[in-house]
Amino acid sequence: MLRARQFGTVIGLAVLCAVLWALTPHFLTVSNLLNIAQQTSINAIVAVGMTFVIISGGIDLSVGSIVALAGVALGAMLQTGYPLPVALAAALAAGTACGMLNGALVSVGGLPPFIATLGMMSAARGTALVFTEGRPISGFDDGFRVLATGSIGFVPAPVVVMILVYVVAHIVLTRTTFGRYVYAIGGNEEATRLSGVAVRFHKTLIYGTSGLISAVAAIVLTARLNSAQPIAGMMYELDAIAATVIGGTSLMGGQGTLAGTLVGALIMGVLRNGLNLLGVSSFLQQIVIGVVIVSAVLVDTMLKRHKE
Amino acid sequence: MTTAEPPVLEMRGIRKAFPGVVALDGVDLTLHAGEVHMLLGENGAGKSTLMKILSGAYRKDAGEIRVLGRDVDIQSPRDALALGIRVIYQELNLVPHLSVAENIFLGAAPTRGLGVIDWRRLFGNTSRLLNDLGMDLAPATPLHRLSLAQRQMVEIAKALKDPSTGSGQVAKILVMDEPTSALTSREVDRLFALIARLIAGGVAIVYITHRLDEVYRIGHRVSVLRDGRQVATKRLSEVTVAELVRLMANREVGDHFPRQRTAPGAELLRVEQLGRRGALSDISFSLRSGEVVGIAGLLGAGRSELARVLAGADRSDAGRVVCHGQIVKFRTPADAIRQGIGLLPEDRKAEGLVAGLTVARNLALPHGRKLARAGFLPRGCEERFAEPIVKDLRVKATPTQPVRLLSGGNQQKVVLGKWLAGDARIFIFDEPTRGVDVGAKVEIYHLINRLTASGAGIIMISSELPELLGMSDRILVMCRGRIQAEFSAADATQERVLSAALGLAC
Ligand SMILES: Nc1ncnc2c1ncn2[C@@H]1O[C@H](COP(=O)(O)OP(=O)(O)OP(=O)(O)O)[C@@H](O)[C@H]1O
Ligand SMILES: [Mg+2]
Repeated sequence: MLRARQFGTVIGLAVLCAVLWALTPHFLTVSNLLNIAQQTSINAIVAVGMTFVIISGGIDLSVGSIVALAGVALGAMLQTGYPLPVALAAALAAGTACGMLNGALVSVGGLPPFIATLGMMSAARGTALVFTEGRPISGFDDGFRVLATGSIGFVPAPVVVMILVYVVAHIVLTRTTFGRYVYAIGGNEEATRLSGVAVRFHKTLIYGTSGLISAVAAIVLTARLNSAQPIAGMMYELDAIAATVIGGTSLMGGQGTLAGTLVGALIMGVLRNGLNLLGVSSFLQQIVIGVVIVSAVLVDTMLKRHKE
Repeated sequence: MTTAEPPVLEMRGIRKAFPGVVALDGVDLTLHAGEVHMLLGENGAGKSTLMKILSGAYRKDAGEIRVLGRDVDIQSPRDALALGIRVIYQELNLVPHLSVAENIFLGAAPTRGLGVIDWRRLFGNTSRLLNDLGMDLAPATPLHRLSLAQRQMVEIAKALKDPSTGSGQVAKILVMDEPTSALTSREVDRLFALIARLIAGGVAIVYITHRLDEVYRIGHRVSVLRDGRQVATKRLSEVTVAELVRLMANREVGDHFPRQRTAPGAELLRVEQLGRRGALSDISFSLRSGEVVGIAGLLGAGRSELARVLAGADRSDAGRVVCHGQIVKFRTPADAIRQGIGLLPEDRKAEGLVAGLTVARNLALPHGRKLARAGFLPRGCEERFAEPIVKDLRVKATPTQPVRLLSGGNQQKVVLGKWLAGDARIFIFDEPTRGVDVGAKVEIYHLINRLTASGAGIIMISSELPELLGMSDRILVMCRGRIQAEFSAADATQERVLSAALGLAC
C-alpha cells in the first residue's frame, strides 16, 4: 500500500533525478546509477534497523559505533585465520549483543533511548579503538572481498545484500507478530502492555535487530574497504535518522515504512552523488543536505496538516 | 430565553464529509443565552464533529455560522476562542507532566514580563478558580497523579478560567462533549450546580451525553442527530425518554437493564486481604462463574486501582489472589491474561487503544500468538478475526480503518471487543459503557448476559448507579481503598450504595 505521503518522497526523488540529469548528462548513465546504489547501500542498510527503532518510539545513536565494533571483530577473526562463516557469525553476534544491551538498558533499566544508545555509541567505539590500539586491520582474501567486488548479473554485491535486507525486514515488519508489536509499542506502549504483549522483551529485540543490521552493514563496509577500521561508521547514525525521517517515519513512533526509508536513503545518495558530479564543494554539500532534510520533513508535515 | 434579541449562536446547513463517510449532512442548531441545549445521537451520529466545526478544529464543507446575529468565519481554534466559544472535548487534552495549574493556564500563565512565569499568581489564580468551581484539587499536583475523573475536572476548569485572571475572553458558548462519562454522582452534582450558575450568568451551553437521566435534569431543549442528519429539535417538556430513544436509534431498544441472572457456579477468583500501599488495603471478595460483581465508589476510592492490580498492570504488596483454586502472583498483564483475566481499562485513549493502528489490529493485539503461524501472520487473518466482533458489537467502522478516526463510543466498543474472542473467563470491566449510546449499552448488557451464561465471571466497575444496580448480582462499595460494604442485588438501593460510598455507613 503506497500512501500519498510516500508518493510525495518518490516524486521528490524523481524530480531530483530529473534536475541532476538536466544539469549533468553523466548523471543518468548505468555506471553512475550503479555507483549511487553501491554508495547508498551501507546507509540504506543501517537505516533499516533505525526504522524499526524509530517506529517503536525510540532512537538508536549507537549504530555507527556498532558498525565499527562489528567490523573490527570480523577483521580480527579473519586475520587470526578463523574460517569465513565463523568470523561472519562473530561479527553478527557482536552487533546483536550490543543492540540487545541497548534494549535491556531501555526496557529493563528504564533509561531514555537517547541516553542508553549515546552511552553505547561511546563505549562501543572505545572498545573498537582499545581492541585495535587505534590501527586499522587490513588485507583480506578474495573469498571475503567478493562481498564487495562481486556481482549478480550487473548488480553489485552490496546492492544485492541491501535488497535482501530490505525484503526480509519488510516481511518481518509487516507480516509477523513481532512487526505488529513494533508499531503497537510505538503507538501506545501502555495499551500494548495491557494487551498482554511482553513489551520489555520485544523492545530488547527491536534494539537487538538494529545492532544485527548494523553488523550486516559492517560486513559489507569491511569488504569494500578491504580494511576494518575502528573509526569507521562515524556519523552513520545521523544519515540513518535522516533517511528514515525523509522516508516519512514519524519520530513520535507508531508509523513508518521501510519503502519510505529506502527512498529516503536514495534521496540522500543521489543528492551527494549529484553534488559531487557538479563539483560542489563538500562544505557547501553539507548545507544543501541540511536544507533538504528539513524541507522534506516540512513538506510532509504540511501535507499531513492539510489533510485534517 | 427571549426572542427579541438574536440567538447567541445559529448554525445553518452544516455539512462535513470525511473520506468515505458524510459525518454531517445539513445540520441546524440554534442556541439562546442561558439555555442548556442537549445534543443526542448514537455513536458516530456526528455530534462531536459538529462541535469540532464550531470550535475550529475542523473546517466545514458547507453551511453558515452566526454568533449574536453576525456572520462569522471560524478558521481555527483561536477564532473560536476570540468569539467566546469554549469546548470541553470528549477525549482529554492535557499535559501529563505539568501541574494542574500549568495545565489550566497553558499558554495563558501570568508572567512577570519576558515570559517569566509568576508562579505565585499562577497558583493563587488556580486555587481561586478551583474554589469557585467547587473542585477539590491541589494546584501543584502533577497531572499524571490524578484519576481520570479528576483530569476531567481540570479540563473543565481550563475551559472556564476567568478572564480577569489572564485568559482573554469570557465564555459565551460552552460546549461539553460527554463531560460526565468519567464522573461519579457526587462530581456530577457539583458539575450541574456549576452549570446552573453559568446559565444564570447568561452562558449558553451545548451538552452532549449518552446518559438520558441527565437530559431532563439540566436540559431545556434537545436536538437529535442520526447518521449525520438532524431528526428533531424539541423542548424537553414536550418529549418523553421513550421518544428520544426512538428518535436516536430509529428502532425499539427494549428493556434497559435486561440482566438474566444464573445460579452462580464454581469460584473463579478469590482475593484475600489484598493491599497496595497508598491505594488499597484489606480487600477480600470472591467471584464465581456466572456472576456479575459490581463495584461502586466515588472518585479516588481505588476502584480502578483494584482493577489494575487484579489484571497484573500494577503490583500488590499485601494479601493474595487465588485464581481457579491456585495462588497466583502477577508480575505483568501477560501473566494475568494467561490465567484468563481480561481487563477493559478505564481510559481508552491512554490504556485501551493504539490509535494509529486499524480496528482489526487493535482487536487482534492480545491474540497475536493465536493468530500467527510460527510468528507469521497469514494475510488478512486479523481482518477475518475482527469481522465478527465488529458486527457483533455494531461498531460503525470497517476493520481496516484506523481507530483514531472512529467516534468515541465506537472506540469504546473496540476496547471491549479485544477480549471477547479470547479465552478470558474473568472479565474486569472498568466503565464498560463509557461514552456508549443507549442502544449499544443494551447490547453490551446482553453481551454480559451471554458471557455469564457461558460460565464467565464479571467484575464491573461503574459510576452509573442505575447500571450497577440493574446489572450486578452483588455490589461491593469501595471507599478510600477499602471495601466499605457489600449488598446483594435485592438489598441494594441508590441511597444505601451512595451513603456507603461516602463513608457514612462505617
Ligand atoms: N477525522 C476523521 N476522519 C474520518 N472520519 C471521521 C473523522 N472524525 C470523525 N469521523 C467519522 O464521522 C462520523 C461521526 O463522528 P463523531 O465523532 O462526530 O460521532 P459522535 O456523534 O460524536 O459519536 P460518539 O457518541 O461515539 O462520540 C463517524 O462515522 C466517524 O467515524
Ligand atoms: Mg463524540
